[in-house]
Amino acid sequence: MGYAAARGGLKAIEAAERLVARERILGESSWLESRQMIEKLRLAVDRVMGEGGLWDEDLAASALRQAEGDSIEAAHLLRSYRSTLPRLAYTTPIDVDDMDVLRRIVPAFRNPPGPQLLGRTTDYTGRLLQTADEDTLRTAAEKMAAFLDEQVTPEVEVGHVVSGAEPTDDERRPRRLLELLRDLDAVVDRRRTDDPEPFDITRHPARPPATRSARLATMARAETGALVNVWYRNILGPDGYLHEITLGEVRHGRLPVKVVHPITGDEISVTEVRVTEVEAIEDLDGIEEDRGRFDVGYGLCFGHNEKKAIAMANLDIACERDKGRSFLEQSILLTTDGLDASGFLEHLKLPHYVTFRSMMERKAAVRRHKETT
Amino acid sequence: MDRNRRAELLARADADDVRQLAEAFLSHRQVATELDIIAPPEVGMVMMQVREPVCKERFHLGEVVVTRAEVAVGGARGWAMRAGTDRETTLAAALLDACAEHDSALGSQVDDLCVETKARLDRARHQEWTELRSTAVSFEELD
Repeated sequence: MGYAAARGGLKAIEAAERLVARERILGESSWLESRQMIEKLRLAVDRVMGEGGLWDEDLAASALRQAEGDSIEAAHLLRSYRSTLPRLAYTTPIDVDDMDVLRRIVPAFRNPPGPQLLGRTTDYTGRLLQTADEDTLRTAAEKMAAFLDEQVTPEVEVGHVVSGAEPTDDERRPRRLLELLRDLDAVVDRRRTDDPEPFDITRHPARPPATRSARLATMARAETGALVNVWYRNILGPDGYLHEITLGEVRHGRLPVKVVHPITGDEISVTEVRVTEVEAIEDLDGIEEDRGRFDVGYGLCFGHNEKKAIAMANLDIACERDKGRSFLEQSILLTTDGLDASGFLEHLKLPHYVTFRSMMERKAAVRRHKETT
Repeated sequence: MDRNRRAELLARADADDVRQLAEAFLSHRQVATELDIIAPPEVGMVMMQVREPVCKERFHLGEVVVTRAEVAVGGARGWAMRAGTDRETTLAAALLDACAEHDSALGSQVDDLCVETKARLDRARHQEWTELRSTAVSFEELD
């Protein structure tokens, strides 16, 4: 593959860039503040951090504004910025059981250990577009906010499983359904006793056959739509792989970022990041599999992005069962990175004059050859 | 206050409060003259490695933007790391850490800031749970 670069056009390029900037910066509306985006376009900002592989809400919001709302372009900007920064440290291995949940549901089990907390969601609400004028919508939103502020002790549904005003450890950090399944001997045990170094996808490209840590890291920063697409092909069966899955845990919460204090040598927490975590329970039914037990896939990504974490958990266990027999791992590793895919796609817009002229000449040569034979 | 805990709370303390206290300390002649910048504030990343629960394997979740700085006051080292790109506040936090090690009177003021920070974090956590617990659910099964 090749294309010839072009030169010139600098004034036109600068003028085009100014047109974008003028509308983005000025327009007829007021300046779009980062804080507004972090609060009101939370899921978009979270998605950019996840796909950029970099946690910083302010920078992600700034990237989203600069990219005029294009999440892949914003992730690209974040990755470019990331490449200018030194890596100062690695965290100590963060135990995901240290997550303080902001939302936790267990679709597979009615009474799991700990509470089912719906948290901030519209999962159970009808998808009705709000068509009222903006003043009406704003007034309604302000009334709703005032109602919430006045509620000193919000009403709690009878029959729930939370205790008093202060949460117990099991309520903010509930025991996993996976642990209950282990207690019941209902899940295969794949816990490792060694502790291999994780694959670093920022330093080396992950290629099949890859370690599981490489697959998980790749999916954690994959483009959401691409990952959902690979999962959908896989679950529907056009790739010849149909499997039945139930979600065990779906969590959104905060994980501590722990580093070693350089003076004391002790582990300390310097900040927190929000993550989405999913465990997918797989029904094993293969001849060579333990059909008396389940297996579990795992998904974890920056921010609140349940679609991505669900797809990731499903694909984690699908890869484990596939054992390299299909193109699944290759699809995950080579086609789900938003920057890779969009970078290739976007380059097609650059001038390819010489390439195309060469192709035209080849076509003409073929025609001439046909005419003379 | 335990040094580790102090570092954790200075990392989360309000930026304005950190800078104001650091500026007040710098007005002390002894602090200003005995201050050494060991490592100026540097914006960088921390790679977040997590241990997942299925196979107990580690993998890289992604990187977190942080700023870190290290100073010394009268030979007492102070270190800080805060999320984000705010160099000035991180340098101020490192200064507070060093001052707390160097002088017990200054240290008590740093402790006050840390206690205040912890109280703010606890209030936020309490408010968060107050709202969250109202979303606890126990769906009924249909026969």
